[in-house]
Amino acid sequence: VIRLALPKGRNLSTALDALRAAGLGLAGFDERRLRQVHPGDELELLLLKDWDLPLYVEHGIADCGVVGSDVLEEVRGDLLVPLRLRQGRCRFSLIGRAPEPPVDGAQIRVATKYPRWAERLLRGRPWGAEIFRLSGSVELGPILDLAELAMDIVQTGRTLRDHRLHEIEILAEVSPCLVVNRAAYHRHRVALNALMDRLEAAEVVCT
Amino acid sequence: MRISAGLPHGVTGVLFEEALERRRLEAAFVEELQQAHYSEVILPILDYFQPYEPLLTATTREQLYRFVDRDGELLALRADFTPLLARLLAPRLDSLELPLRLFYRGDVVRHQSLGPGQLREYYAVGAELLGGERESADHEILRLFVRLVGRAGIGPVRVVLGFAGALDELLGAAANGDGAQLAAAIARRDRQAARRGGAALEEVVEHGVPERSGSLGREASRRLDALLELTAGLGRELAGQGVELSVDLAEFAANTLRPELEIPGSIWTYYDGIVFRAYQAESGREVARGGRYDRLFGALGADVPAVGFSLGVDGLLQLPGRREVAS
Repeated sequence: VIRLALPKGRNLSTALDALRAAGLGLAGFDERRLRQVHPGDELELLLLKDWDLPLYVEHGIADCGVVGSDVLEEVRGDLLVPLRLRQGRCRFSLIGRAPEPPVDGAQIRVATKYPRWAERLLRGRPWGAEIFRLSGSVELGPILDLAELAMDIVQTGRTLRDHRLHEIEILAEVSPCLVVNRAAYHRHRVALNALMDRLEAAEVVCT
Repeated sequence: MRISAGLPHGVTGVLFEEALERRRLEAAFVEELQQAHYSEVILPILDYFQPYEPLLTATTREQLYRFVDRDGELLALRADFTPLLARLLAPRLDSLELPLRLFYRGDVVRHQSLGPGQLREYYAVGAELLGGERESADHEILRLFVRLVGRAGIGPVRVVLGFAGALDELLGAAANGDGAQLAAAIARRDRQAARRGGAALEEVVEHGVPERSGSLGREASRRLDALLELTAGLGRELAGQGVELSVDLAEFAANTLRPELEIPGSIWTYYDGIVFRAYQAESGREVARGGRYDRLFGALGADVPAVGFSLGVDGLLQLPGRREVAS
């Protein structure tokens, strides 16, 4: 039995759709049960918060899991990332009230949920960034003048349009990823490769 | 005034029964090492920073505890035994008889991000074999490594082996400009990137080795065949002892011999020959690692082949299902 961690956030339905498309039944799946066994699929599922999921996989509590590449970029765990799902892709962007980037030499406050990733992405810019962490509704930062810019996930761009914000620059593509614990890969190599083959055959992953 | 018993993040006191068990485990390791004719060296915990500076990566630099001593010297706390040993032995090598079999034990201190059960100060035991014919030295140190891991009482163990530079030729040929990026993708077993890199890389990512060793290039192919032979032989020797060995080149894709393939932010990149890692089979946690680092010794003035390993004793003691060492 493989222990698979699923994210409770925006990627849950994407992950479930992908697994079902790959032929897993997941009969009786219940979103409220944090731990559930699916004997027919030889799977035990754990439902975890996105931000906790990499830790569970890295420490071998879960053999593998599905989590957004945005979370992986921020937490930088020692994980294998063999596949990216096709569905649920979005972008990580620089957002502001004006469409132009800051002028050279400016010192800019940047609000984001991903300060470590933001720091890496903004290194070397001709303007300085004071990056600080917000835990949600990051777009409000520039709207209410807490920050000049925000860096956040953009899916359709509707929230930005609703708040008259501009996507100044797309910094990275983001997608839900299959992550695997290093040792679990050796232990369950055949089963995990078979699961990945099925996901690829179902055309639900980037190839 | 009440005095807090709290300690800084990542350090812990080991008391009573736990202390006794740590000493028992340490004694079991030392017994194995002495039986194999390895001699103890005792190394300082404080050293100059400057000699190691050129060898540090961005990550290992961040992990070092550094400070200015009262006389203005920049010092560092011991984060690794091997470079310190290399520097100390360098001026003495001419007077020493090779091969030299050494072991050490003591605390190492690294400023690393903390997860469950992780420490910034932990007790390590390790061994080094200096000099001697490389292939037979690799065999000897690997056997010793497996014996020590077997003494840890952690149940079945999986040892994964590879060698530095194994994929260099493949990566060099497949990379379209950014070899380091492709190496990083192979290290995380990215199937999409591997497929773009060609059939051999795809096989390495999925199965650990390519179907035809010749696809790695002549030298790497010869080394892979030798490693597979060693692994098979050692596997037969250890049959029924709860140790499973496998060769997996993707596991060590970050260990390159070409600067253009070095993955930024990687650690443990100083290996330049055989590399190995042991995992507790049940929990999947890494328990120890080792390999060959001739270049590291050379860079610190010790022009001698060197291979060794290190085990984190505190980490071993925390593994699930561990049985105590018989007193």
